[in-house]
Amino acid sequence: MNCTGPSILTILALMASFLAPDSVHAFQSHAEPEALYGHQLAHAFFIIALAILAYWLRANRFTDLKGWFLIQVTCLLLILWNIAAIAGHWVEERIPDASLIGEPDWTQIIRLDTSPWAIYYYALKMDHLLCVPAIMCLFLGIRLLFRNALNEEVRKNG
Amino acid sequence: MAESYSLAPIWFIDVFGSMLMILFSFLSVWYASRLRKIQPSNVVWTYLLWLCVALAGFAVSRGVGHVAKRFLLLADRRDLWLMLKPYSGAINSIAFVVVASITLFFQRVQRINTAILNDKKALEEASAEVMRLNSDLESLVQDRTRELAKSERKYRRIFEGSMDMIFILDSAARFVDINRSGLTTLGYNRREDLIGTHFAEILAHREDCDRLIRDLDERGFVRDREYNFITKNGSLLNVLLSATGRKNEVGEIESYEGIAKDITERVHMERQLQRADKLASLGQISTGIAHEINNPLGVMLGYTQLLLRDHSAGTQIHDDLKTIEKHARNCKTVVEDLLKFARSTTTRKDPVRVNECLDEVVSLLAHQFELDNVTVIKSLSLDLPEIIADGEKLKQVFMNLLMNARHAIAGKGVISIRTEPGAADNHVRITISDTGCGIPGEFIGKIFDPFFTTKPVGEGTGLGLSVSYGIIQDHNGTIEVESVPGEGSTFTVSLPVPAGVKSF
Repeated sequence: MNCTGPSILTILALMASFLAPDSVHAFQSHAEPEALYGHQLAHAFFIIALAILAYWLRANRFTDLKGWFLIQVTCLLLILWNIAAIAGHWVEERIPDASLIGEPDWTQIIRLDTSPWAIYYYALKMDHLLCVPAIMCLFLGIRLLFRNALNEEVRKNG
Repeated sequence: MAESYSLAPIWFIDVFGSMLMILFSFLSVWYASRLRKIQPSNVVWTYLLWLCVALAGFAVSRGVGHVAKRFLLLADRRDLWLMLKPYSGAINSIAFVVVASITLFFQRVQRINTAILNDKKALEEASAEVMRLNSDLESLVQDRTRELAKSERKYRRIFEGSMDMIFILDSAARFVDINRSGLTTLGYNRREDLIGTHFAEILAHREDCDRLIRDLDERGFVRDREYNFITKNGSLLNVLLSATGRKNEVGEIESYEGIAKDITERVHMERQLQRADKLASLGQISTGIAHEINNPLGVMLGYTQLLLRDHSAGTQIHDDLKTIEKHARNCKTVVEDLLKFARSTTTRKDPVRVNECLDEVVSLLAHQFELDNVTVIKSLSLDLPEIIADGEKLKQVFMNLLMNARHAIAGKGVISIRTEPGAADNHVRITISDTGCGIPGEFIGKIFDPFFTTKPVGEGTGLGLSVSYGIIQDHNGTIEVESVPGEGSTFTVSLPVPAGVKSF
């Protein structure tokens, strides 16, 4: 059996760690911004995945079919929504609590003079205007694909 | 209040948007599910279903969070919302990741689906081909069978219709098949009588078979070789044989195929011509010799007779002269026979009834035949026409033939005499058969030669058949012989009938 350099070093390091114990940290503490960062990174990951899907659909000529084209539109709208969401979360962190006045219902108002970001916050809060059309495009695309497949099966089975 | 805006639009968009998200995402799940049901083999639909389910989960996590937030705050339950908020956000983040992860699988799923679809297509094509072959198989088999039957009929017609003998032998040189002409030529009625018989059994010389098979094995074929076949009734056939050896893919002989042409008639004719040429040459020589000897013999005989007048009987000289006279007369007889053979003697031709000539000769020999236990069976045609011939010479021919027949029979035997008008040609045919010892094959070609005899020295001059041949030739007829050693011989004399002569 051959013992290469790195494997010998690994064994020696393990032995040293067993022979010279020190204080250990069982788990890492996570400060408050981590949740937001994690959420933002999830959005970023979602954007990348959607961009890749949109590219593959086009590269493989799936988008020649209207159903898949609508799904590609879904991807693009969701990418825009993700960008809006990332921006929204970022802006939310930058406006003071005093900007929002009143109970958090339809009677609540926002003061735009408290921060230059407040106007963006107001606009970006309406992100449903992007994600709802995206989901509707997904629904329409799948329904179209379903109908096409149904017609194909009917034609095939006479 | 300056620069202040109501958040009511955001509130409503948030609540109704979340509801619509949930609604459309679930509708998408429903359609994706139906899509997968109608085409379950398409993996892309399965992928799409997973994506929709994940998006529905995302929509629920997000929508419920938003709606719950609005209603909890509206219901003045900020504390409850603050408790739920981290969970809502965390679930929402996880939902993104799940949706994004599933989204990334598209390319792999699409490749798998393409591979499956290609395999499926290939399988369907193969299946369709198998189905087509299956459905066409019967008609293909029928077509091929019809073609084979047609081909078989064509070659069978050639095989059966051939005037030559065509036969197939197996690798052990046993008959596998033979055509109708072959059966007829060999004297068989049924194919089964010959199938399985070794080829050597129809050959007159069995060693020919070994040589033939060896040549076929070595060279693959033989062309135009003469063989003697034996028919079922024992008669000999001269055949011209061409044959091939059929080998299999490993070079072993599978069968032999042969075509044999019966050339017996041709060979017979050739031999007759050769014999006629030979006898004609002998006749010329004999004539010359006979004339040269005949004159001195006449002088010798004349002077002997003159001297006999001068010496009385009982004296030594008289006896010696008598001996000279006797042998001179014998020589003269031989010379006269030679002249008859050479057709140099004069013939007096008159209308002759052949049956009467035969009756006279038979009655002359009847007593002797009776003593020798030889039975004579006559089968003389009553409507035999007269011929123009020298009756005495014909009687001499019949006498020679009958005497030869009697000599051929050792002990008890039968001599058959048959006359018949020629069926096709204008001839009368006289057949004299015996049940004697027959003539060996090597002698057949020589029996008409002058001085050829198988009798012991002193018992025959060997001129009987030569003289008969000469006489028949002089009558423009033919004399032929067929003989099977051990079974007997048949002499057939054919004499022409003059035109206009009617049968009796």
